[in-house]
Amino acid sequence: MLELKNIKKSYDGVPVLKNIDLSIADGEIVSILGPSGCGKTTLLNIILGLTDTDSGKILFNGEDITNVPMEKRGFNIVFQDYALFPNLNVYQNITYGLKNKPDLSTKEEVNDLIALLGLQPHLDKKIDQLSGGQKQRVALAKTMVMKPKILLLDEPLSALDGVIKESIKEKIKQIARDYHLTTIIVTHDPEEALTLSDKVLIVNEGCISQYGAPEEIITMPQNAFIKEFILNQLEIKRNNIFALFQQKTTVQAV
Amino acid sequence: MVIRREKEIKIIYVVTIALFLAFLAVPILRLFGESFLAEEGIGLENYISVLAGKGFGNAFGNSIVISLSSALISTILAFFLAYSIQYTNLASGYKKWIRLLAVLPMLLPTITYGFAIIYSFGKQGLLTKLLGVQLFDIYGFGGLLFGYVIYTLPISFLLILNTMGYIDKKFMIVSRVMGDNGIKTFFQTVFRPLLGTLAASMVQCFFLCFTDYGIPASVGGRYEVIATVLYNEMLGSIPDFQQGAVVAMLMLVPSIVSIALLRYLERYNIRYNKISTVELRKNAARDWFCGIGSAVILIALLSVFLVIFIVPFVQEWPYQTQFTLEHLQAVLQDNSLTMVYRNSIFVAVATAVLGLLITYGAALATARSSIKQKYKAAINSIALITNTIPGMVIGIAYMLIFSGTPLQNTFWLMILCNVVHFFSTPYLMMKNSLEKLNSSWETTASLMGDTWVKTIVRIVTPNMKSTILEVFSYYFVNAMVTVSAVIFIAGARTMVLTTKIKELQYYTKFNEVFVLSLFILGTNLIIKGVLSYMIQRENKKKEKEQ
Repeated sequence: MLELKNIKKSYDGVPVLKNIDLSIADGEIVSILGPSGCGKTTLLNIILGLTDTDSGKILFNGEDITNVPMEKRGFNIVFQDYALFPNLNVYQNITYGLKNKPDLSTKEEVNDLIALLGLQPHLDKKIDQLSGGQKQRVALAKTMVMKPKILLLDEPLSALDGVIKESIKEKIKQIARDYHLTTIIVTHDPEEALTLSDKVLIVNEGCISQYGAPEEIITMPQNAFIKEFILNQLEIKRNNIFALFQQKTTVQAV
Repeated sequence: MVIRREKEIKIIYVVTIALFLAFLAVPILRLFGESFLAEEGIGLENYISVLAGKGFGNAFGNSIVISLSSALISTILAFFLAYSIQYTNLASGYKKWIRLLAVLPMLLPTITYGFAIIYSFGKQGLLTKLLGVQLFDIYGFGGLLFGYVIYTLPISFLLILNTMGYIDKKFMIVSRVMGDNGIKTFFQTVFRPLLGTLAASMVQCFFLCFTDYGIPASVGGRYEVIATVLYNEMLGSIPDFQQGAVVAMLMLVPSIVSIALLRYLERYNIRYNKISTVELRKNAARDWFCGIGSAVILIALLSVFLVIFIVPFVQEWPYQTQFTLEHLQAVLQDNSLTMVYRNSIFVAVATAVLGLLITYGAALATARSSIKQKYKAAINSIALITNTIPGMVIGIAYMLIFSGTPLQNTFWLMILCNVVHFFSTPYLMMKNSLEKLNSSWETTASLMGDTWVKTIVRIVTPNMKSTILEVFSYYFVNAMVTVSAVIFIAGARTMVLTTKIKELQYYTKFNEVFVLSLFILGTNLIIKGVLSYMIQRENKKKEKEQ
């Protein structure tokens, strides 16, 4: 279980996060959702250990890890731009961490991951030869090899298009389920957040606006921001899609 | 406030700052102090006596006039050459040759230019004989102007060619479609976007001419410029360090103004969002004009260097012109000369290696660390300052401060001097490349269990290969050709080729001068050739993958 208690952070006197309280159960997929500049990436970096908090505590399984440096926390992240190493091929990227810690994953485990993410045909390719979805899968594999205690994903779908987005979504869900892995995802897209995760944390102006399961958010929005920002957007989308299919059926009927 | 401690990068930062404190700030401040030291204590006495002296005002004025003239001519010619490459349908092979030949003079020291001019355009000169008439008085304005143009044209050319490559040619079509005539299209879509760069080229060329010592040392003659005044104050028959320090400080003034102007002009550069490849209009007249024009410019420029391939290989220029290898053999058998060649290679390689380490370290600190902005600004200012300070000024400052210390007359002092003097350009090259690399690599790698050093070795450095080669080549070639700073700090046993050439001039041993120049040219050609090949291979590899 990951707990955040009274987390505060400001940059040059401007508060970015004000009093964040939060707990995430093992194996849960949680999305952090909010408009740009709301502090969601800062929150992710604080959990990762890349950014210090001004005050407050982070507990993991009851242990205070607030002052534990990033590389000792055992969490791992996939960045929005994947941060793959272009001088190495796909396989070398995936097994990069094993050079430092050879006992972390066995050969079979690595092969299982490669199979799960469908990377077998690409292992000898250079990073620049891959498509966006392939890069995302390599980045996921490379991170999973490290057996992270928590997996953090920064806007994992924003650079991908339609069908690929859906397939990556499935992979993320599958990984979280198969490995019983706590997964925290930052996104600005309500549809993504609500269809991908067990729980959604909506952040606005540095505060938690609402934290709950997708159904709760839809059925019991707690404030005007959620109604206007989140639900309204989804409704417009729904109406557009309904209208589209409606039209199609009428055309066919005629 | 990052938990990542970045201890290594902080150490690199401190070492870099300490290095520039000891080998830039302190010497320059010492020089500054020296200029106020007079017989009756501290005061402006030296300044008054220098400024009141007739010679100085005259030389200063001459320097300004000739530097401006050279800058203007160089910029116009460079524009013509760059235009021929970017805006004509000349054969790509031909363009390649223009590109190559235009920068060739960079591989020779400026001091050689002067001697080449003398042997080409003097009364007995090669070109004077071929043409049957002496074109201009070499020992004065004409000779200096010619030398400075050869010196600055390559730099101006590279600058203009580079910006021209970033002009979106699609706007030419837009301008045409809107009904502009040819001249208006040219001004709107080529000249106007380049205005900032053309001005920058003028300023840069001015600065180079104003501070160069090699050319006036050889062809200055009766036309005194500030560089010769400075040399004579420091190393002439009656040295006066205080007055020399004053001249050095005064030399700094136009340098600082130039650099300030350059910074100001940067904002006039027009940036296009994207560069589209556009087919250029067919225009045979334009292509012929530019093709022939470029050939004429380059032939005029490079014909000067013909003599250095001829004079050392004939019995006795210009009286006995049978071919001989005597002079070459004499040089090769002269231990003192071959030692100088070995010295030069050592200094150039050591400068390149040390310069590479220091620019890499400094650029890592500014481009890839979370060190506070104000600390990063210190390194950026160092780059700006080293760009402002003429080599002669650094050399003189070193001469004042390191005389009597164990560093005096050592190779290390010359190497450090080169590293400091040429810091700016390679540092910016490193910084730009490092900034383009993915900013999350270090974090990702550290999560994979890497130490910082490991990440730099395994990930960052392999992706910096072509920039590293470029920086190495830049430092090496400049260390081979520089004369302005090292002339003040080279000792009898630490002579390099360029300072030896200056000494040989004193004994009028011009065969040796040209043979040594050929050594410099040959070495630079080999190093540049090999490194460019490696850089190209590296870049091609990258392109292929994408």
